[in-house]
Amino acid sequence: MDLWNQLLLGFATAATPINLLWCFVGCAVGTAVGVLPGIGPAVAVAMLLPITTKVDATASMIFFAGIYYGAMYGGSTTSILLNTPGETGSMITAMEGNKMAKSGRAGAALATSAVGSFIAGTIATVLVTMFAPLLADFAVKLGPPEYFMLMVLAFTTVSAVLGRSTLRGLVALFVGLAAGLIGMDQISGQARYTAGVPELLDGIEIVLVAVGLFAVAEALYAVLYEGGPPETQNKLSRVHMSRSDWRRSWPAWLRGTAIGFPFGTIPAGGSEIPTFLSYAAEKKFAKGENLDEFGTRGAIEGVAGPEAANNAAITATLIPLLTLGIPTSNTAAILLGAFQNYGIQPGPQLFTTSADLVWALIASLYIGNVMLLILNLPLVGLWVKLLKIPKPYLYAGILIFATVGVYGMRQSAFDLVLLYAIGLVGVVMRRYDFPTAPVVVGMILGPLAEAQMRNALSMGEGSWLIFVERPMSATLLAVVLAVLVLPRILRRFSASSSSATAKRRKAT
Amino acid sequence: MIRRGGAPGPQTLIGIGLLAVAGVIIVGALDLPSSAGYSGVGPNFLPWVVGIALLLCGVLVLWQARTGGYRHMEEPTGADHGYWPGFGWMSAGLLANAALITTIGFILSCSLCFALAVRGLRHADRHGGVAPVRGELAQTVRDLLIGMAIAAPVYWMFTKLLAINLPGLTSTGWI
Repeated sequence: MDLWNQLLLGFATAATPINLLWCFVGCAVGTAVGVLPGIGPAVAVAMLLPITTKVDATASMIFFAGIYYGAMYGGSTTSILLNTPGETGSMITAMEGNKMAKSGRAGAALATSAVGSFIAGTIATVLVTMFAPLLADFAVKLGPPEYFMLMVLAFTTVSAVLGRSTLRGLVALFVGLAAGLIGMDQISGQARYTAGVPELLDGIEIVLVAVGLFAVAEALYAVLYEGGPPETQNKLSRVHMSRSDWRRSWPAWLRGTAIGFPFGTIPAGGSEIPTFLSYAAEKKFAKGENLDEFGTRGAIEGVAGPEAANNAAITATLIPLLTLGIPTSNTAAILLGAFQNYGIQPGPQLFTTSADLVWALIASLYIGNVMLLILNLPLVGLWVKLLKIPKPYLYAGILIFATVGVYGMRQSAFDLVLLYAIGLVGVVMRRYDFPTAPVVVGMILGPLAEAQMRNALSMGEGSWLIFVERPMSATLLAVVLAVLVLPRILRRFSASSSSATAKRRKAT
Repeated sequence: MIRRGGAPGPQTLIGIGLLAVAGVIIVGALDLPSSAGYSGVGPNFLPWVVGIALLLCGVLVLWQARTGGYRHMEEPTGADHGYWPGFGWMSAGLLANAALITTIGFILSCSLCFALAVRGLRHADRHGGVAPVRGELAQTVRDLLIGMAIAAPVYWMFTKLLAINLPGLTSTGWI
């Protein structure tokens, strides 16, 4: 009953006209950002971080969260109509959605993705409402050794497990950790790598790195490598789902939600894996005619499932972010930065110290999902117009917004030179397939992990055994090792068995 | 085998760059105090870990680059070779923005950056096959105006609505 009261109080805060306005603007900006290729929610939130100096914490967190999940709604529109995903999370949607659009069913694809996003988002919000406080109660019992291990787990999954190359993932992680070293040491107050520059005592601004790596690098990459005629756009048909579309979408939405939600809660780096799994599951469950539509005319399940999965995953990332202070996606990492700008450290205490904020934020998720359904179903035609913006104007416009974000944060023209330099690094990383997420996560989580590690060591009076003596921390350590080792063993096993069959084949 | 975006030259350079970063971190770590207080490690511990890890990563990257290129590479999207003139225009725009923003103000500086970047992107598109040949000067003037039409509302929103400082040509907060 307590939960219910707190949620109601949250609604009371979230439903004030000014907060409703922030929520609406956030959802609208999020949808736009999702629709526009080349700009994602992480960079949009990063560019708008300067508002944290003026707008109060509750309003800006509602706003940022709106951008975050709004982008997932918008991303599918681009995937379906252009076959270039607006977001990484909607890559899979592009496969079936684009086929559906080509065979004249763009409207049905857009409808199933918007309704599916709404259902998944709402179910996931209910789950967040129920489980986040429980997890927070539990997390209060965790000490520095456990936190440190959780962060190590986040580092491991985001760098070594996801992505194609462990080495390049680790390079990105350690570059991020190195950037995070700059500034004042949290425990002793010692200045590190500041080269005597007073501005560097506070560390490098996350806005600078995120906007440089994502926005400026994107624009530079486009001018360098992606010149050429604009892509052809599929025709938008009436946004409508037939009775059979509904019947086929329902189970896919629910399965997608069930697959996506757990993935959001673990540090597995966003929504790419669950969307892929959901797609595979839908293909497996499809039969007869419906199965034939996969990869040919476009199967509606292949849009409904992954779209639900990515929204559920995105909403679920709020659980580790709010209750443990551990971001599991790029955007969540930047949201953590936003909290830090207010001097708020997300973690189990957040539910007691900033209960108003947390519950208003959760209530705003319910409201935002309704707003997004309206923004994306009847008004989809409006967003499609955004796709008509010529590419030169789009990318050059992104540069203007990048300037606002970076300059607005610290009023330093030198930061704009750094922004360009980081953009160049981003181009190189993109060209040579270095992942960028580990840089951002490493930079934000690095100083926190270091503080937890040193606190843990002083608990253990300087002994590293503290990490294996405590059962929870030892378990987490085992999970980290398993996550590191298991995929490798499996890969080696399958590689050796396939080479064995190849040899056998040669022999016969 | 030389793959797209996988020429060993740049890959080697990346490895060398990593070694340089590792060097900076390690040299910096030498100067940091190791006084640990109650905890087992001092403020120089993580710098050492990061420095040595980057050193190892750099060596491995270098080794991969010299022995057939990076492993498990995703083919990069887009053209095989960069279109450097376009890159030059956009870089000029970004650096001009950094140099001029405090003197000519946010709106004008950003419009200039916008126009230069658009010029680069337009040439890149033409380079890739589209050819809308028009008066270059008229086009640039139009781009400048479009840039202003984007930058001005953004500027007003930040300075007037959110009261966040952005540099202006005048101190009125309008331009």
